[in-house]
Amino acid sequence: MQINQELCVACGMCISRCPVAAIKKEDTLVHIDLDECVECGVCKRSRVCPKSALEQQELTYPRTIRSLMSDVLTVAVESQISGRGTEEMKTNEVTGRFKDGWVGIAIEMGRPGVATRMYDVEKVAMAVAKENVEFEKQNPVTSMMSNPQTGMFKEELLNERVLSAILEFVIPIEKTDVMLRLIQDVAKEIHTVFSLDICSKVAADGSIPHKKILEKMGIWFSPNTKINVGLGRPLFQGN
Amino acid sequence: MTHTLHRVGTVESLRGDWVVLCMPSKDINHEGSAPKLQRFLKICRANHCVTLGDCRGGNEFYQGSQEAVLENVEDRAVVTATFNNEKDLVGVMKQLKEEDLGLSVIVSGLTDHVEKCCHEAGLKPHTVEHSLGRLGDTAKLPPQEILAIATMCGHSMVAVNFIYEMVEKVRKGSISAEQAAQELFKPCMCGIFNTDRAAKLIKALVA
Repeated sequence: MQINQELCVACGMCISRCPVAAIKKEDTLVHIDLDECVECGVCKRSRVCPKSALEQQELTYPRTIRSLMSDVLTVAVESQISGRGTEEMKTNEVTGRFKDGWVGIAIEMGRPGVATRMYDVEKVAMAVAKENVEFEKQNPVTSMMSNPQTGMFKEELLNERVLSAILEFVIPIEKTDVMLRLIQDVAKEIHTVFSLDICSKVAADGSIPHKKILEKMGIWFSPNTKINVGLGRPLFQGN
Repeated sequence: MTHTLHRVGTVESLRGDWVVLCMPSKDINHEGSAPKLQRFLKICRANHCVTLGDCRGGNEFYQGSQEAVLENVEDRAVVTATFNNEKDLVGVMKQLKEEDLGLSVIVSGLTDHVEKCCHEAGLKPHTVEHSLGRLGDTAKLPPQEILAIATMCGHSMVAVNFIYEMVEKVRKGSISAEQAAQELFKPCMCGIFNTDRAAKLIKALVA
């Protein structure tokens, strides 16, 4: 995003609307720090500018991934849905993506609200890839990797800054302990934050398989959850 | 929307925050899903939802009105609604079960309570996702009371500085907490930002 300086009256109304504080006022000039801007489009959509001075410049690769990963209204080619993730557990009753004996992990890099450089995403991806995970193919982040087996990203993307980038994969439930310890360790090496999710299919007795492991490991988990209530059809046939 | 499980706050505060989401699955049941997604939104509205929205088309501020949100729903949309009490949540879940739209429905909120509501509505949880919190350089995060408001937009479209600005306006008496909540709702394109809870959180901040 850019500010047309011929139109801008430096009122500063747009400054607070930027989720990553990339709009700055220096003396009598309001400008956008393009290195910090994640191209989310929030400032322009807010319609707060009295002079319509916020203008979307044409984006070229690799900067295009900032918009893809930050502007919620951009639809990803891989998933065909808006938002930065995939259907993940939300449609599990029809896709069977998370089966008995497996858990899903999502590492929501940059969330909430801090944003992330892709080199930090790579650092975490390479750490978890050591456990031979298969990153979710429908997630646009996976297509940004030069080598999904190692978690290495295309070099030209590494310094791009995005509001969020989600690493998604499934692991056998018996690997949960090792994986969560590994994620806790790599978290100490990055310059941003991430939100961490774990999911599993409810067992026949009504218990939540991953919950038992978390309790055994002494890992905090939230009192609130996201629950798929099984109304999608046709139901996945299998375990 | 993935982030609905990461909504931060006290248990007491989260008792007034329930998110219901409906979506089709690509290549399985997405064709012809638009009328069903519209029906979902109408059911939510009939059951007194606080907000509603369409993650693909944008919220009512962006589209002009709630009617426009309903009219413009497409086959691949992900639609949402928020509720502020369990009675309405049970009501919407019961009706969704009865109408059997055939699309996936996901409910976010306090686990024990959602499970109880499922039971009352005759539904069984199929898959459950927990938040393990926030890791990494967490010193970069705002205070918990601000995060409680900010995380109601999982895509982080509601800027922390905007929240501070609105809270300050309420503190000075230039706008009400309810008006501030409505302003903060506008950037949340999915319409999943619970304005009722936001107003309560802002009132607590300025008290």
